[in-house]
Amino acid sequence: MTTNHAIQVQNLQKTFGETQAVQGVSFEVQEGEIFSLLGPNGAGKTTTISMLCCLLRPDEGDALIMGHSIRHEAMGVKSVLGVVPQEIALYEDLTARENLDFWGKMYGLRGAALKTRVAEVLDIIGLSDRANERVGQYSGGMKRRVNIGVALLHKPKVIYMDEPTVGIDPQSRRNILDSVVALKQQGMTVLYTTHYMEEAQELSDHIAIMDHGKLIAGGTHAELVRIVGQMDRITLTVNVEAEKVVDAWRRVEGVKQVAADNGVITVLAEDSNRALPRLFDSANAHGARIASIDIQVPNLESVFLHLTGRALRD
Amino acid sequence: MKILDIALKDMTRSFRSMFAVIFMFGIPLLMTGMFYFMFGDIASGGEFNLPRTKVIVANLDKGGPKFQVNTKNIPGGAKANTMGELVVNVLQSERVTELVDLTLAPDAETARAAVDGQRAQVALIIPPDFSKQFADVDGHAVIEFYQDPTLTIGPGVIRAFLNRFMDGMAGVKIAVNVFLDEAEARDQALAGVVVQRYLDISLAQTENIETKLLDTRAPQKKEKSAEEEKQNILARIVTPIMGGMMIFYAFFTGTSTAQSILKEEEERTLPRLFTTPTSQATILSGKLLAVFLTVLVQVVTLLIISPIIFGIRWGEFLSVAVAAIGIICGASSFGIFVNSMLKNTKQSGVIFGGVLTVTGMLGMISVFAAGSSGGGQLGETVSLIVPQGWAVRGILLAVNHAPISESFLNMFALLVWSAIFFVIGVWRFNRRYA
Repeated sequence: MTTNHAIQVQNLQKTFGETQAVQGVSFEVQEGEIFSLLGPNGAGKTTTISMLCCLLRPDEGDALIMGHSIRHEAMGVKSVLGVVPQEIALYEDLTARENLDFWGKMYGLRGAALKTRVAEVLDIIGLSDRANERVGQYSGGMKRRVNIGVALLHKPKVIYMDEPTVGIDPQSRRNILDSVVALKQQGMTVLYTTHYMEEAQELSDHIAIMDHGKLIAGGTHAELVRIVGQMDRITLTVNVEAEKVVDAWRRVEGVKQVAADNGVITVLAEDSNRALPRLFDSANAHGARIASIDIQVPNLESVFLHLTGRALRD
Repeated sequence: MKILDIALKDMTRSFRSMFAVIFMFGIPLLMTGMFYFMFGDIASGGEFNLPRTKVIVANLDKGGPKFQVNTKNIPGGAKANTMGELVVNVLQSERVTELVDLTLAPDAETARAAVDGQRAQVALIIPPDFSKQFADVDGHAVIEFYQDPTLTIGPGVIRAFLNRFMDGMAGVKIAVNVFLDEAEARDQALAGVVVQRYLDISLAQTENIETKLLDTRAPQKKEKSAEEEKQNILARIVTPIMGGMMIFYAFFTGTSTAQSILKEEEERTLPRLFTTPTSQATILSGKLLAVFLTVLVQVVTLLIISPIIFGIRWGEFLSVAVAAIGIICGASSFGIFVNSMLKNTKQSGVIFGGVLTVTGMLGMISVFAAGSSGGGQLGETVSLIVPQGWAVRGILLAVNHAPISESFLNMFALLVWSAIFFVIGVWRFNRRYA
């Protein structure tokens, strides 16, 4: 293991009863980069993060966070780590300032240093003017900002963000994505989990795709897209149940993958211009009409579809 | 230091909750206040307002030998020609009229009918030979006492009054009999003197009969400090109730505050705390300290405020302090124990509605059974099967100025309870978050 890795994960495994939540996950994150774990709900991302911040003890494997073992140096790991949990984990009956003050103390800050840092973080999250209002009175987006602010208090070397944009409005989501980029610019290493393909695509230096507790692919965005080659991704809807045409379309010449999810059919084809007339013919032959078509160049969605035969579920 | 930070944060949250503050301070004071005002009338002026007893007297006494006694000391006695009239005059005397509403009936049937018809509560039938029998040293002078069987207090007062009067009179007869048996023939002349002196003394005692029967009114004390007396009576009534309420709601607070561990788990702030460089032991200790300090603030505040509001006297400082330590430890550890048994806060309804109420009421049995003779002892014994019972016992020991050694012994018992609860509770929580 080299020293310029902020995170080094080796063969992490975790089982809950009969369920193997994480099955031998290994990856490395360079210092100062944004690394995204992409995968559908239930892929094992949160379990992996929970092990990396010492909330869960792995059954097998280990990880080093800035050189501290999650198995043997939990306090060392926690002191270099900031965690932004998926849920808003704040005291709603305390003000934003009181929340930051308390969490700062839990990270070992005291006195003037704490006061200064709380003021700085309030400034970073843009809530200085409303710092003395109780968090319970904030909007969802404002709570998310305080939720992130808590993780920044002790200027951590590494920050975990576990699906921080779930369930918020587009404007707050934009603010959070901008703040993640800003953290990277300040030299922090960010481990970001999401099931939104476009977030991972926009933010990440490196991406690892997880499914069913395993890492199924990893690399930069460009490297991952190369996995599917130059195939086009065609998204279609039909006026009958999708299942009626899916099997037939899999046999269409030039089509590599077909998946249906909630009535939306995703097709990977070598050349959409040639494949589309054949898809129309096949639909007609099965008494179906194509209601809408969307053609996209290869992206992470295509990669996931290519690797798993399933669409990334929102 | 982090332990204190966590405790102070929890306490801040607790005291910002209007619900919690009302249950910590408002409800115990309100409940005690209800009892205070309920019993306020009884204590006002330091007297009980016993209703007047309606007495109907059929005085059929036809008299007998001349009644040679000095009746100057008997109210209305000078006007009496017969023993029957003497009884009637005593019952009509000014002091007794506050207790007795007396009417006269021409015959025994009318008197009994008045009781049967509930127009009177007691009928006294003085027989025709009452004076004659009284004068006869071997005779038995008997007044028929006919009362409404559903009543107890009023007829009881009249019965006691008459018994005392008749006892005094019967003493005369005994004295005469003894004298006649023992005296020589030549001493017969002295008999009249002895009887006269005995009657004077006996009747002088009889004169005080109303005062003795009406001791509860304590007219002299009333003149001294009626307000003070009222406060004393109220304080005696309200003190155990306030103690019981304080303990009931201290245990409620202990359980409610300890619930913050489960609440934080559900709010996801507890897992987040575990991601900070703060040990699990520190986090749990901070939360347990918060429970202890919150109950401490509640108990100390109530102990200080209740004497100001209700005039309660808790007893010697050391005894009260010892009782308070027991209450605080018992309530805190009970709360920790109970919450360690729960999976989530959704189960708390059962705990607050069931376990806390049942154990709380069991513990307070001794407060409400204190007035009954047999029930008091039984109640106290039953109450000691729950920690609240020991806590109540501790505060009552302080109130009743029991020896300090008893208070310490009680506190020790409560600390044993607390230690058991604490160890089980902490063990379960540690295992849960390990």
